[in-house]
Amino acid sequence: MSAVASTAAERLGLRDGVIREVRSGELVIDAGAADLPALADAAVAKLGARLLSIFATDERAAHGRFTVQHVWWLPELRTLLRASAGVDPAEPSFPSIATRHPSANWFEREVMDLFGLSPQGHPNPGRVALHDDWPEGVFALRKDFADDTTVGRVAGDLHPFRPVSGEGVFQMPVGPVHAGVIEPGHFRFGVAGEPVLYLQMRLFYVHKGTEKRFERLPWRHGLFLAESISGDTAVGHALAYAHAIERLASIEVPPRARSLRVILLELERLYNHVADIGALATDVAFTVPASQAQSLREGLVRLHQRLFGTRLLRGTVALGGVKTDLADAGRRALQAHLTSLEPEFDHLITSLIDAGTFTDRVDATGVLTHQAARDLGIVGVAARASHVDGDLRRDLPHDAYEGLQFDVPLEDGGDVRARLMVRAREVEQSFRILRQVLDTLPATALCASMPADLPAASSALGWVEAWRGPVLHYVATDERGRLTRVKINDPSFLNWPGVIQAVPGNIVPDFPVINKSFNLSYSGNDR
Amino acid sequence: MTEGTLATIGLAILQAAGMLALAPLLRGLIKKMKATLQTRQGPPLLQVYFDLAKLLRKESVRSETASWLYVAGPRMYFATAVAATTLVPVWMAAAPLEAAGGVLALVGILALGRFFLATAALDTGSPFGGMGASREMTIAALAEPALMLGLFTVALSAGSLNLGALVRGLLDRGATFHPSDILALAGLFIVVVAETGRVPVDNPATHLELTMIHEAMVLEYAGPDLALVEWASAVKELLYLTLLADLFAPIGIATAATPVLLLQAVPIWAAKIFLLAVAVTLVESTNAKLRLFRVPDLMAVSLGLGFLALAIRFL
Repeated sequence: MSAVASTAAERLGLRDGVIREVRSGELVIDAGAADLPALADAAVAKLGARLLSIFATDERAAHGRFTVQHVWWLPELRTLLRASAGVDPAEPSFPSIATRHPSANWFEREVMDLFGLSPQGHPNPGRVALHDDWPEGVFALRKDFADDTTVGRVAGDLHPFRPVSGEGVFQMPVGPVHAGVIEPGHFRFGVAGEPVLYLQMRLFYVHKGTEKRFERLPWRHGLFLAESISGDTAVGHALAYAHAIERLASIEVPPRARSLRVILLELERLYNHVADIGALATDVAFTVPASQAQSLREGLVRLHQRLFGTRLLRGTVALGGVKTDLADAGRRALQAHLTSLEPEFDHLITSLIDAGTFTDRVDATGVLTHQAARDLGIVGVAARASHVDGDLRRDLPHDAYEGLQFDVPLEDGGDVRARLMVRAREVEQSFRILRQVLDTLPATALCASMPADLPAASSALGWVEAWRGPVLHYVATDERGRLTRVKINDPSFLNWPGVIQAVPGNIVPDFPVINKSFNLSYSGNDR
Repeated sequence: MTEGTLATIGLAILQAAGMLALAPLLRGLIKKMKATLQTRQGPPLLQVYFDLAKLLRKESVRSETASWLYVAGPRMYFATAVAATTLVPVWMAAAPLEAAGGVLALVGILALGRFFLATAALDTGSPFGGMGASREMTIAALAEPALMLGLFTVALSAGSLNLGALVRGLLDRGATFHPSDILALAGLFIVVVAETGRVPVDNPATHLELTMIHEAMVLEYAGPDLALVEWASAVKELLYLTLLADLFAPIGIATAATPVLLLQAVPIWAAKIFLLAVAVTLVESTNAKLRLFRVPDLMAVSLGLGFLALAIRFL
């Protein structure tokens, strides 16, 4: 019986022993489905819990049931809590918590779409992942749905968008195909002239059945699939998957690999943050700083190419460690690059925030209030820009983050500028982290050897604070140690509702810059 | 038909052809200079010509719901732009068709082209067309009065609303300079930036359909239809810069249609256009695009400058 499990049980008003600590940072409670809402209320009220995921599993073959699982992040206790409840296939429903915890909204509807378990009491139990032409009663993540099934399109009812009325009030459909080379998503604006009254969106145009695909892959191959969940978060997703597998197999990653993983993750953060800052300038047609940012980003990815043989850091993470070492020459090259990048980046930020025409576009644009960010369970950069504290690198340290000196920057504004400034300040922290790690790179092996098989019938969580926010993977094996369920959580899934909240009250031509300031992944959201 | 009429028509055709031929070069030049300021190589100087040639070879894809207006829009826009070139003195201190109309005719003809393009944008029922048309007309409603005020101020000092006579009047006046000219120039420059869809009013290089003004209006067009719109926009841009050169630095323009004077006038004109293009490039590169609702403020500044210029003129 671990201390943290007892504390959690005590604070939640539960019997001692109900909550188990299966691994460090991972508490599990087996609850009845009916108890999930009360548990959620208690976790939020008494432990300040934040919802990271809700997902289902199909265990009908082994245990004759489905499960619905809530993953809570308990910042005070520095742990995750996974609440698991069985659902009887004869009565495929579970109690919804979305009314009191809005961040559960899309998760529960996705469980409904892909498992056919209906969330009882959900305020808006419509489809979220499935589109209108998907037939009723076909649930892709159930085990009896073969992944090579061809599903015919049906006519279906058109997705009901909220109607608008009033003189001069229109609905404006935008997308899913856009004028630029960007991923597909449909945005439906209710507008009175230029001001936006509300925004609705329809995503999942790039749903690829990734979670289903994992179930047919050997677990070693899963790493390559994880890397391609969202191309800009290759390291983040690969690491989250690797963490889950390593925790499942009880593998200790060698110290040098842990440090190199920190380097990779921070480099991914750097190139994405720099590119995003440039993209914000592009969106308001501030061309010269936009080009500067692009060239800084290009310098970084070329450095990756030289150091690791890959521009976007793919193929760098291994199960049990990393694939590529950083030789002494590479270490010095990286240090030198940071030294020259730092003043250039400084100059970029200064030239942006010193330009009145630029700040006029980003100040008070797309405000996501602190309360809305809290209620919706917004995570990562977007949350910290609305002064919602939290960073898994500090709060649930993974790899070599424990013991590193860095700050988690917070901003109050919740507007486009705040999200820009969080990125800018995180870049400075990344410099700090990288310097510390580079100065004290341990000399050990690069990779622990992995066992031939994963433990049978077990499961684990793996998490990472990637550049956009927390990435969480849940991996479960069957009785022969094969992958039977992988749940992928990209921070985009939690944050899209934040965009919906931030846009109303702004004018239509400001939408792109607001959207860009969140810069969420369609691919990671839709999977 | 008298010989004089024939000569006038010949001159008009020559001038329009010259403007049509050179306008894409101006666009290419501005793109190249913008790219240089961003330390990019940028597209070749002649890329705009290549693009036009490519578009003219393609087929025009038209929406099934579009009516004749949709087809007429680009043609009217192009025709009005070409017609407008014959009302402005370019290389000679006389506009080929100056007998047909002056400042008011010029503004009117350009407005007619815009009217047709905006109407055509509404025709397909695409949300972007309507959005672009509404934005374009909002800005035009503010830019046109500012344009007229600026033109009137200069016309007052030259004593004519006819552009040919106006330029000749300015040349007669000689190198004297009136403070109102500065205000009028500033006001008109803002109008030109707005009318040519440049940053900080509009962004000609964006892919973000929701932020577009002019581009949103023509988003539906493809192939030769699009080529006409692009070409006409380029001609309008060259025409506006030529107008600025005429009004504020007419020196060097050919005062008679002799080959020697014309050979001198063309490079001088080209140099003036180049300087103005540099100014446009610098404005585009040092500013972010304004929030759409701030554009009226900018146009109000332009209008205010025009009023002040006119008032000072009477002092």
